[in-house]
Amino acid sequence: MEEKGRLGIPRALMFYRYFPFWRSFFERLGWKVMVSDGVRQKEKIVYFEDSCLPMKLLVTHAMQLKEKVDHLFIPRLVSIHRTYIMCPKFRGAPDIVRLATERKVSIIDETIDLRKGGISLLQSFLRIGERLGASRQESKKAFREAEQSFSQFQKGWTDRINRLPTRQLFEMDIATPPAGRKAPLRVAFIGHPYNLFDIDINKDLLALTKSLGMEIITSDFLSEQEIDREVSGLSKEIYWSSGREIVGSLFHFLSGGVDGVVFLTSFKCGIDALLQEFIKRRLKVRGGSSIPLLILSLDEHTGREGLTTRLEAFQDVVEQRKTENI
Amino acid sequence: MKVTFPHLGSMHIFCKAIAETAGIPYIVPPETSRKTLTLGVLHSNECICLPFKMILGNFIEALQMGADTIVMVGSGPPCRLGLYDLVQKVILEDMGLHYRWLTIPPRLTWQAIWKNHEETKELRKELSARNIFLFPYGLWMGWKKMMACEALEQLAMKVRPIEIKRGETQKRLKKALSWVDEAKTPRVLEEAIQKGKALLQEMEQDRSRIPFKVAIIGELYTVMDPHINRGVEQKLGELGVEVTRTSWFSTHIMRSLRKNKADQTSERTRFFEASKAYLGYDVGAECNVSVGEAILRSKEGYDGVVHLMPFACMPETTASGILTKVGKDWDIPILTLILDEQEIEGRIQTLLEAFVEMLEWKRRAA
Repeated sequence: MEEKGRLGIPRALMFYRYFPFWRSFFERLGWKVMVSDGVRQKEKIVYFEDSCLPMKLLVTHAMQLKEKVDHLFIPRLVSIHRTYIMCPKFRGAPDIVRLATERKVSIIDETIDLRKGGISLLQSFLRIGERLGASRQESKKAFREAEQSFSQFQKGWTDRINRLPTRQLFEMDIATPPAGRKAPLRVAFIGHPYNLFDIDINKDLLALTKSLGMEIITSDFLSEQEIDREVSGLSKEIYWSSGREIVGSLFHFLSGGVDGVVFLTSFKCGIDALLQEFIKRRLKVRGGSSIPLLILSLDEHTGREGLTTRLEAFQDVVEQRKTENI
Repeated sequence: MKVTFPHLGSMHIFCKAIAETAGIPYIVPPETSRKTLTLGVLHSNECICLPFKMILGNFIEALQMGADTIVMVGSGPPCRLGLYDLVQKVILEDMGLHYRWLTIPPRLTWQAIWKNHEETKELRKELSARNIFLFPYGLWMGWKKMMACEALEQLAMKVRPIEIKRGETQKRLKKALSWVDEAKTPRVLEEAIQKGKALLQEMEQDRSRIPFKVAIIGELYTVMDPHINRGVEQKLGELGVEVTRTSWFSTHIMRSLRKNKADQTSERTRFFEASKAYLGYDVGAECNVSVGEAILRSKEGYDGVVHLMPFACMPETTASGILTKVGKDWDIPILTLILDEQEIEGRIQTLLEAFVEMLEWKRRAA
């Protein structure tokens, strides 16, 4: 198929969950998908608004791409769950980028709101296809194929996290290497996907963890029922899907099955700040857990050295507890 | 049973009036002070918004004074306000304070009414028939008092920039509000309102001054509560600025009851529509209204806009990013004040003085 043009996807926010899906969809429609590079130095971050680091990185990545592409893909993610919603900042994200790029680049900002029912995702992508000049049939076919390859991709997810460098996790062309030696410790990493997998945010904490001999598991590993069981009895429903996932999986892992739990949060993340307080207090009130919990708050000033020290100390605690229990 | 509620703005007058008229025992939390805030800060973390800390501080103080039932206005997604109660409950529990909690549903859906019914089941046993019989009357009195407070505050906003003796308006307003607060019967209340209005109007005024017109916009708690915003309204007024704001308790109550459909077309809906040039979706809370109001105020010939938000507020952070552009596009000075627990009253005074000075240059240049 001839190339229709270039479509840019900023390496930020929900890129770190849905990129394989997005890429398959656009490539099947004949677009060349361009992804922004890393940021590496904090001097390069664009401070358009005073938000959390992940949001600032979205603007930065969009600025990197704006001259190289015909369209930028920044979907307006209102809800990615049939009942629960996303953080309100996601609703304004395309508008913020539009102002930061001074309206000079076309932004595909189709609303994605899965609360509207089963086929609303397909409908959103049909509208996206329409904006890119594809027919309904073409879009539909691309959507189905993207769906298939994405579910294929998700199956091997836990292995990928443990066996590939963080930068290559979302490169579908790179196959997962065979399993190496089994790590002695199993540690759950909890947090928004961009906090876990964006090495500009967490200074590649995952690589560090792996080098210290820890196996990583994430909340993707849990079923929705397992998460729901932990959060459905609360006096009020947590209405952010990411918040539910964080609280539910955290309580789930703290009740057993792992040797330690690490919770990564972004400084100034409203959801994390509030739920962090809730988690800490509830653990205290309910008698706590014997599994060590490490909460790391990240921003652009976070240094690799500081993280290393804390992670090593955490490893000591985890190991000590494990030997005591045997 | 002893009921308590947040102190916020003049909301405590409203809640107190209901409880008092219906004969339900209550405790008004002490006026929000440095100590209140310190308590709230101590029991939360740095990125939780300021209203959360203020309300938490109010509750802790009231519970320590002997209150046992907390009444809190609920809210819904997408902003954090909707989950305040979830987190505050567990914090109070962790502190070893005993309480019962009653959420007033933000929207009257069946689910909310059911939940309210569940929560009040126990409480209703403690209420006498007299309490329940008088409750609607209490609501009516509370509403009357709230409207009276708002009318007085609006009047004060008008006369404050032209007062001759600085600080006189604030003194008189306080006195008038306390008359309203103390009134026990509709007749006394009516008298208090008339007396209060007269007190403000009869003050010495310099009518030759032409005050600047500035709109205060932003997150509703920071706009409505002078303790949270460190008296921005009063400070601006005393610098010779006539302040307007569209965020009042009554507007938000009416909005949640979906009563004032007709009124909505005139204010909030108008602002919301105007924001569409910048925002493609309802971000939530006051974000779109803030952006839209700034645009329309510029068109209406206002001299400036002061945008208030708590540190790390989710919807208003988006709004503040957009407002920097709005200010440039529409040539209207916008001052964003981000509020947290730090002692920033002096800094706010300096910022406001500089802002007003800038408005003066702008007027002279025009």
